[in-house]
Amino acid sequence: MYEIDGILTPYFSETDPEKRLIILDKMPDNEALDFIREVYEDRYSDHEKKGRKNVDWWLWRCICLQLLYGRGSFFIFRAFKRHEINAILNELRMNDNDDFHIRILYHEYRNTARRYLSTCKSSGYASSFMGFKQADDKEKIYRACQDIWQMSKGIAISESLEIQNKMKVWINAFHDELMDYDDICRDEYERLDRN
Amino acid sequence: MNENKFMSAFKQNAIWLVFFVEIAIFAYFNPKFLSLANVVNISRQVSYYGIASIGMTFVILIAGIDLSIGSIIALVNVVCAYLMMNMGWNMWLAILVSIIMAILIGVLNGWMVASIGIPAIIATFASQTVFRGCAYLLSGGLPIPGVVLEHPTFGFFARWSLNRWEIFKAMGDIGLIPICAIIMVICFAVGSFILNKSYFGRYFYAIGGNEEASELSGIRVNKMKYLIYALSGFFAGLAGIVLLSRSGSAQSTAAIGFEFEVITCVVLGGVSVAGGIGRMSGVIAGVLIIGSLKSGMIMMNVSEYTQMVVQGLVLAVAVGVDCFSKKRQAS
Repeated sequence: MYEIDGILTPYFSETDPEKRLIILDKMPDNEALDFIREVYEDRYSDHEKKGRKNVDWWLWRCICLQLLYGRGSFFIFRAFKRHEINAILNELRMNDNDDFHIRILYHEYRNTARRYLSTCKSSGYASSFMGFKQADDKEKIYRACQDIWQMSKGIAISESLEIQNKMKVWINAFHDELMDYDDICRDEYERLDRN
Repeated sequence: MNENKFMSAFKQNAIWLVFFVEIAIFAYFNPKFLSLANVVNISRQVSYYGIASIGMTFVILIAGIDLSIGSIIALVNVVCAYLMMNMGWNMWLAILVSIIMAILIGVLNGWMVASIGIPAIIATFASQTVFRGCAYLLSGGLPIPGVVLEHPTFGFFARWSLNRWEIFKAMGDIGLIPICAIIMVICFAVGSFILNKSYFGRYFYAIGGNEEASELSGIRVNKMKYLIYALSGFFAGLAGIVLLSRSGSAQSTAAIGFEFEVITCVVLGGVSVAGGIGRMSGVIAGVLIIGSLKSGMIMMNVSEYTQMVVQGLVLAVAVGVDCFSKKRQAS
């Protein structure tokens, strides 16, 4: 459904922005290159203009989606929450309907999810009691499943059908990346869906 | 889905139910518990807990802890009183210097945690000991009495209202509302704004949720830690000034064990000790529950030692519930 030219695979497999740029620069001319470069610039630029380097704006927006999922939706604030979610979806180009772009975006979304998941193996992740009790590998995987679900399907199903449709590619990309992460993720994802 | 939403809203606000049940129980056993005088008294008592709990909330949200706030309060008390009473400084200047000192202690905590890498519990415990010692050294272990902060500063609004309507009590109250309670409400409003409406608040949650992902996404995690511990120092300093204005006497023994009471308020309010989860409205409820519990127990003639036992149990239950819910989520 989201197949791309095999030449692009190394670029979408790499999560380090600098290495990705090197791969991108070495890539022979092809029809996708301009759009990929545009997405790259968009993803790794400092949208808040605080003069920061090493910004992964899309990763930050993932985290924001998860934070918005956790935020209560008291009816007065529901409109503000929806407005913010829509702004994030636009920044993540989820309103792009071009088939070719969607395929590229799917892989970029998967790359974002992969970068998030790469942080879920660190020693401090999912630790409790002020970092004194470190989580074991299984706990980390469960927590990673929960995070990925919340920043994709969780936030979508808590909102309108329109948002759910907009997020379809995003949800698929995050789901597929999670399924490649560990075998137990499938059951956990389904459990989260049921709850 | 609607049922789920209802249950989730209920869980988020269950702490308020606990508060109202507690009020009802104390009011049942002692009708004077709900008298205006007692309500005003509770608001006065909880004010400095409330103010300090805002900084502690920020710290716990990033999965840290600040055990130094009791000592910061004692040192701010002593320094402010010393500058005013022994050196004849202007009160505003003394308050300003004391609060700047509290912020710097917070920055020092931030440096130890973020730059040196000392676990927060050890770093802030060291600060606690050092700055409590400083308070003893400066005061010689003796109280500095006769500190009047209500006139002409905190009492300014009170005198203003007295001049206008003459029906309000002066001495630190605007009408029936204690000024320290008003300061607490303003601080909670600022704290809520920072958490819910500013980017900083979002950074706090993000760092507590997944520090490494936050770093990769561009948040300067170390700088944020400095800021958060500085904010904790600031709110502790402000709480120290409020305590000084209430007691009128600076003591190096002030606020011993205070940090645990503040941690109880914050954790009881639903802020997870694992970081990344919590709301300011819950903390407000936590502060009110502890304040009412203390007042209610005093009115029921419960001994001070029993009160300590109860408070310890409340902390254990609050942390236990948090850990249990985390465990249940994971299983």
